[in-house]
Amino acid sequence: MKFLQKINRQYLLILTVLLLLISLSGYFLLQVIIKKEIKEDIQEKEYAIVREIQSQNNLVSIYPIIETKKISKTEIQPKSYKEIYLMDEAKDEKEVYLEYTHSVKINNQWYLIKIRHSLLETNDLILAIALPLLLLLVLAFSFSFLITKKLNKTLWKDFEENLKHIENYSFKNTQKLVLKETGIEEFDKINTTIMEMTGKLRTDYFSLKEFTENASHEIQTPLSVIRNKMEMMLNDKGLTEEQSAAVQTIYKTVTRLSKLNRSLLLLTKIENRQYDSKKPVHFEKIIRETKMEFDEIISMKELKFQTEIQGTPTIEMDADLARILIENLLSNAIKYTENGNEIIVKLNRKALIISNSGQHKFNSGDRIFDRFVKENQSSSSVGLGLSIVHKICLMNNFDISYDFAEGKHIFKINFI
Amino acid sequence: MKLLIIEDEQNLMETMIHYLGREKNVCEGASGFQTASEKISLYDYDVIILDITLPDGNGLQLLPQIKKYNPDAGIIIVSARDALDDKISGLDLGADDYLTKPFHLSELNARLKAVWRRKKLNGKQEIVFSEIKILPESMEVYVHDKKLSLTRKEYDLLLFLISNPRRMLTKEAIAEHLWGDYIDIADHFDFIYTHLNNLRRKIKQFGGNNYVQTVYGMGYKWTDE
Repeated sequence: MKFLQKINRQYLLILTVLLLLISLSGYFLLQVIIKKEIKEDIQEKEYAIVREIQSQNNLVSIYPIIETKKISKTEIQPKSYKEIYLMDEAKDEKEVYLEYTHSVKINNQWYLIKIRHSLLETNDLILAIALPLLLLLVLAFSFSFLITKKLNKTLWKDFEENLKHIENYSFKNTQKLVLKETGIEEFDKINTTIMEMTGKLRTDYFSLKEFTENASHEIQTPLSVIRNKMEMMLNDKGLTEEQSAAVQTIYKTVTRLSKLNRSLLLLTKIENRQYDSKKPVHFEKIIRETKMEFDEIISMKELKFQTEIQGTPTIEMDADLARILIENLLSNAIKYTENGNEIIVKLNRKALIISNSGQHKFNSGDRIFDRFVKENQSSSSVGLGLSIVHKICLMNNFDISYDFAEGKHIFKINFI
Repeated sequence: MKLLIIEDEQNLMETMIHYLGREKNVCEGASGFQTASEKISLYDYDVIILDITLPDGNGLQLLPQIKKYNPDAGIIIVSARDALDDKISGLDLGADDYLTKPFHLSELNARLKAVWRRKKLNGKQEIVFSEIKILPESMEVYVHDKKLSLTRKEYDLLLFLISNPRRMLTKEAIAEHLWGDYIDIADHFDFIYTHLNNLRRKIKQFGGNNYVQTVYGMGYKWTDE
């Protein structure tokens, strides 16, 4: 529900309740006032009747308004008011009257005086009060409807425009988020808050990005120093066998450390969406080229490498990431296939399936995509390859799964 | 060759000067943007090795200056950042090569020579080691003036070895040179051995000597000693 609609509904609800209360109290108040007036009128009439009897000894009777008659002492009735219904012959319906009864003693003779006054009917009274109020309500409804419609078009236009602007904004934009001034205090306040907040987040985003790069720089440079010093030492002829073995170990470990650092950096960069360019990628071509890179190792391990291309998906993503994705999956398959066994790569418009022969399901099972999970703890791999694959899939909304069936490890990526 | 090494990490600069200085190169170092800027405008260099992240400025901003005062110098950017942006803008601004830290000194040396040949000698220089002659421009190899038929990997391997004469090259450095960075290096040590054996055999067929020494467990050395 839109804001203005909501406000209007509340307004109208309150207005309805209020009008109902006003009508009710109006009804009762009016009744009290009318009765009071009528009673005064009746008193005046009685006074006139009594005077008429005293002076002229004339009994006035006008049906049904006034009735006067002589009565004996036993017929004396107390003074009372009551409502009665009488048949109105002209209209052929019952009408309500207020009847006043009083016994008066004039010149030692008792008289009974009855004075009746027609009361306004309740229905008429309600109608008289409710009708104008109802009219007011209808008017208020239609006005508010029209105003909402008009305000939605004018007042909210800037707001909606700003909303669209925010929806389309990304921190990677080179520009800051700037929202249009609406001239409405609340909206402008929100705008300022949002602009300040995004500004701060944007600074944080960039400083984080910078931090990652700086961290990598800070680590890579000392690694360079160590590696290059080791390289120099390895060329030193004066080393004993033991020293040389130690230097070798350090050299290899530094190489691993530097690979690890690079993989972590790559993961962070993917997470930071620094590889976010969208270009059409041709998976068939990438698979063919990547396979060529691995040709040597494939032929050395005498692997049977089959590709079944039934179509290539139309996907827009970062070209470097697409290549890393395929490289990691293929190198993983090659690593875990024993000599002479087969690797099958299937590609169609919707999915990529890479399967390779194996003995049993990977022990890590579903955790296979987690960071630093390795099948073989002693292997020289850093255990980030499949995490990188997983992250790339996640960032591009691909669905990736691992399964083991019929003696084959199966990695499947659903592109849609 | 006269070299200028612009690098803020003192240890790294010393190692580079030490390694590259062994081969009749004159190496000078600059550890900051200002010193580098002065040296570029005052002296002529054949190749300049440039670190992008300097304490007092961005190394990329030195490129226009190098182009102005040292238009013939080859430029190799050495950076810890393998951010694609840096690489592209660096090469756009006229750098000849880009090397990511941590690198192998042997790799830097090979690239240095390649850049120098390309820039200063228009690729026309022959590389001669005793009876072996390489023409980098046409990628041809001759032994006793007889043309050798090598695969691409064998050629790359030979050029890499011969660019670092009398130096032990680790298997890691060779693997990275031949197959690049992201390949699982350990898997490729056997390939080096295979390619090397083929290379030895082919050179021997044409009456060449075996200059490749195996340094047990570590790597290989191209030497006539």
